[in-house]
Amino acid sequence: MRITDSRGTTAVIGAVLGVGALITAFPFVWMVSGSVKPRSESVGHPPRILPREPTPQYFTQLFEEMDFGRYLVNTVAVVLISMTGVVLMAMAGYGFAKFRFRGRGPLFFLVLATMMVPVQVTMIPTYLLLDGVRLTDTLAGVALPGLVSGFSVFLFRQFISTVPTETIEAARIDGAGEVRVFWHIVLPLCRPIMAVQIILTFIGSWNSFLWPLIIATDQRYYTLSVGVSLLNRQIATNPSLQMAGATLMVVPVLIVFVVFQRSIVRGFTLSGLK
Amino acid sequence: MRRLRPAPVAPILAVSLIMLAACSESGGGADRELTVWIMGDSSAHFQELVRPFTDRTGIGVDTVAIPWDSADQKLTTAVASGRGPDVLQIGLSKARVIAGSGALLELDEETLKGHANLTARNFLGGLPAADGKAGGKAVSVPWVSDTRVLFYRTDVLAAKGITRPPETWDQVRADARLLASRGAGAFGYFIPQWDSALPVIMTWAMGGHIVNADGEIAFDTPAFRKAVDLYTGMYADRSVPADTDFDQVQGFVSGVTPMLVSGPYLAGAIASAAPELAGKWAIALTPGDVTRTSLLAGSNLGVWGTTDDRDGALRLLDYLADPRTQLTWYRLDGQLPAARSALGEVRRSPDPAAKVYSKQLDDARPLPQVPNWDGETGKALLDTLNAIVLTGANRDTALRGLYAATDGTPAR
Amino acid sequence: MKPPIAPYAFIAPALLLLLAFGVLPVVVALLVSVTDLDLAGLADWANVGFVGLENYRELLADHGFWQALANTGIYAVFGVPAVVVASLAVALLLNRSENRFFRALRAFYFVPAVTAIVAVSLVWGYLYNTRFGLLNHLLSLVGLPPAQWLGDSVLVKFSVALVAVWRGTGLNIIIFLAALKGIPREYLEAAALDGASELRKITSIVLPLLRFAILFVTVTTVIAWLQLFDEPYVLTKGGPLGRSTSISLFLYQEGFAAGRFGYAGAGTLVLFLVIAGATLVQMRARRFDADH
Repeated sequence: MRITDSRGTTAVIGAVLGVGALITAFPFVWMVSGSVKPRSESVGHPPRILPREPTPQYFTQLFEEMDFGRYLVNTVAVVLISMTGVVLMAMAGYGFAKFRFRGRGPLFFLVLATMMVPVQVTMIPTYLLLDGVRLTDTLAGVALPGLVSGFSVFLFRQFISTVPTETIEAARIDGAGEVRVFWHIVLPLCRPIMAVQIILTFIGSWNSFLWPLIIATDQRYYTLSVGVSLLNRQIATNPSLQMAGATLMVVPVLIVFVVFQRSIVRGFTLSGLK
Repeated sequence: MRRLRPAPVAPILAVSLIMLAACSESGGGADRELTVWIMGDSSAHFQELVRPFTDRTGIGVDTVAIPWDSADQKLTTAVASGRGPDVLQIGLSKARVIAGSGALLELDEETLKGHANLTARNFLGGLPAADGKAGGKAVSVPWVSDTRVLFYRTDVLAAKGITRPPETWDQVRADARLLASRGAGAFGYFIPQWDSALPVIMTWAMGGHIVNADGEIAFDTPAFRKAVDLYTGMYADRSVPADTDFDQVQGFVSGVTPMLVSGPYLAGAIASAAPELAGKWAIALTPGDVTRTSLLAGSNLGVWGTTDDRDGALRLLDYLADPRTQLTWYRLDGQLPAARSALGEVRRSPDPAAKVYSKQLDDARPLPQVPNWDGETGKALLDTLNAIVLTGANRDTALRGLYAATDGTPAR
Repeated sequence: MKPPIAPYAFIAPALLLLLAFGVLPVVVALLVSVTDLDLAGLADWANVGFVGLENYRELLADHGFWQALANTGIYAVFGVPAVVVASLAVALLLNRSENRFFRALRAFYFVPAVTAIVAVSLVWGYLYNTRFGLLNHLLSLVGLPPAQWLGDSVLVKFSVALVAVWRGTGLNIIIFLAALKGIPREYLEAAALDGASELRKITSIVLPLLRFAILFVTVTTVIAWLQLFDEPYVLTKGGPLGRSTSISLFLYQEGFAAGRFGYAGAGTLVLFLVIAGATLVQMRARRFDADH
């Protein structure tokens, strides 16, 4: 959309968006600035945006005293486990998109229906189920309920239905088995949507809050979000420490987003969402 | 994104290894280890507290910190699956609910034999140990005690000519009005909107009870109504802030709310949030018109019913009830002991705050042991009062609603 | 003929997981809703009794339930259009140029969406704090009285919704941006040649072509807002006096805090039906064609 005579308009729009971006990201700025403020400044009144004496002590405190190193490792492990879910969802999307079989309609409807279940109220049955298979108190147990989501299966199905069936048929005629067709033909074509899914999964599992808390009986399996909620002491809140924990949670996700930004947008575009 | 092509093998291998590791419960070696649930802040210190126990007995202790907000969820899922910790900390206000679930080990004389420190006589009188279902079976033992005292800013009060802390609630109300006149944005007293114990303390101060002779909740008494008038009156005087999200530490430190009734944990919070305030604040006994009875609170410890190391758990409980351990805990974490002799030591300490706490504990009463104070009775009380002061509900209608909702609730 | 096993094999793992963690809990909720399951009942099933439709009757008579339902309705009615319009507007503006500045801006708009809710609650809690918070401090600088952002019965809903809108736009901006990039340039250039103004182009060409994306975003946003939980939970726990409780939060509090699982089960079923109903209505309103 390079319409030269409205270069001025572009600049104006850029300025408006810039202001909007600052306002939108302001709470984030407040969080980062709070994470390096000494405690007295955090509880000080009137509130100031920039710290007078910035200190990294709270970040070191998180790792040295509050076991955040372990929580970080646990969170990364949960994220990695969740990535296997991406492959499972791609398989399901492929199955629904490119095959005709009995029950396809109702089953896909069921998939969509799971999006409408309010998650918090399903905690007890989910817990009992995991307890039955002895997966409570494990990292797998933390990751399992969030491994697959109806939303993502839907996206995969959308995307894969745009893959030309001829390509798949050609591979089959050449004698390739179903697994080969999926792994070597379909999956590579899914790169854009995979990028989207990996990001969404990353964000979801990195930030998951209520579930890791409930499932882990052992503090060894707490994730970052549980660690941060532990900082919410009943009376003696230390805002700087809490902000440091919160900043630690957000920054990696942002970095991942910035790096994969283009792939994400392209992935959504190619998924036929228009 | 060429990287995605050769990628499959390596990450799959990595993930499989992680999953294998993840699926294995990392149970330690053959050594005994007890899992202990400790609430929120105290878990780090607790680990230090139990080190001598591990050294002496060889039984390891794995402390799990439970965030305050999630105590209910953790308990529910533990009860649902039948698998919980070995030992857990139980706030007194939750004791009945937990006991009612039947999840805790019964601690009768037979079970407690050989653990000298756990005899009821050793603990501060009035602390509920027998809090099981109807039948009065003990399922927990006291661990730490807690009470409420008056915190006040000596400098702020002195600036307004108040040289001694108020001793009756009428004085509190008058002093609060004076302090609130300092100007816009200044108040005299802070009432936490989540504190269901405060109106009960006020009722006791007026010489009343909220449990009648039949052992049932009965709010409809003159003393309670006086307490309600006091509570709502301070709001009406504009001596108390009506914000729902008021930070009491910040309020006290900044001088906005220079008086409030709270527990020892607040002292620790003020000291760490504002060490420069030392010397400018003090504590005194809870005010009272007829009596200066305050709240007797605290936490107990219980043994999980299906624990596989009953003996180890009981030995840990015994260790924690030892007066020396109790004193160490007071030094480490600031929580008052429940063992009588330990409390005697605290009383003899030169710290003026310690003297006030132990004196207050001599005249302190626990909340009624109803089936569910936090979730039902206490909540109904708070909702009623907050409706009156925050949303302007009619006092008499609201109170009638409270009586209807709570009358007859059994309270041992 | 193709062996019929293949499709089932492909969908099986994901489907089984969805059934286990998505469908089964609703079934359990249905079963539990006709009992009086509580904490004691969880410990020992012998304590559980059948109560028929008693839970439902109690639910419908519970003032708290209707209040939560009404709050959720208010949230959805104001929040969903806000999210959809704001996301669309920002996406349209961001689409103006592909230069580095505009691309960098995307990250800023995405920040709220990736911030963990625990972190969000900390920051917004401080911003909203009546006495010591930044927003009221700013108000005082321009001479305005402090607002009870989370304390006032009416304002609290706005404050909670604002945070939810703030969080909800991020992903939808990306979705709309992607959809916009999928519009063939020829259409727009043809229109420009015909002398159409920017606004004309947007309303007559872009928006109609975005129909599907708009529907998709609207449907998913409605579903998300009917399940609103995180924001009221961390900001106000439903207060003051239930004025900001959403239905999801109400059920969670009944289930865990009060330990009345049968009651919560009844509510879960009702909520599920409401969401399903709302979704069906939206689909019917626009023919939902997923396979074009």
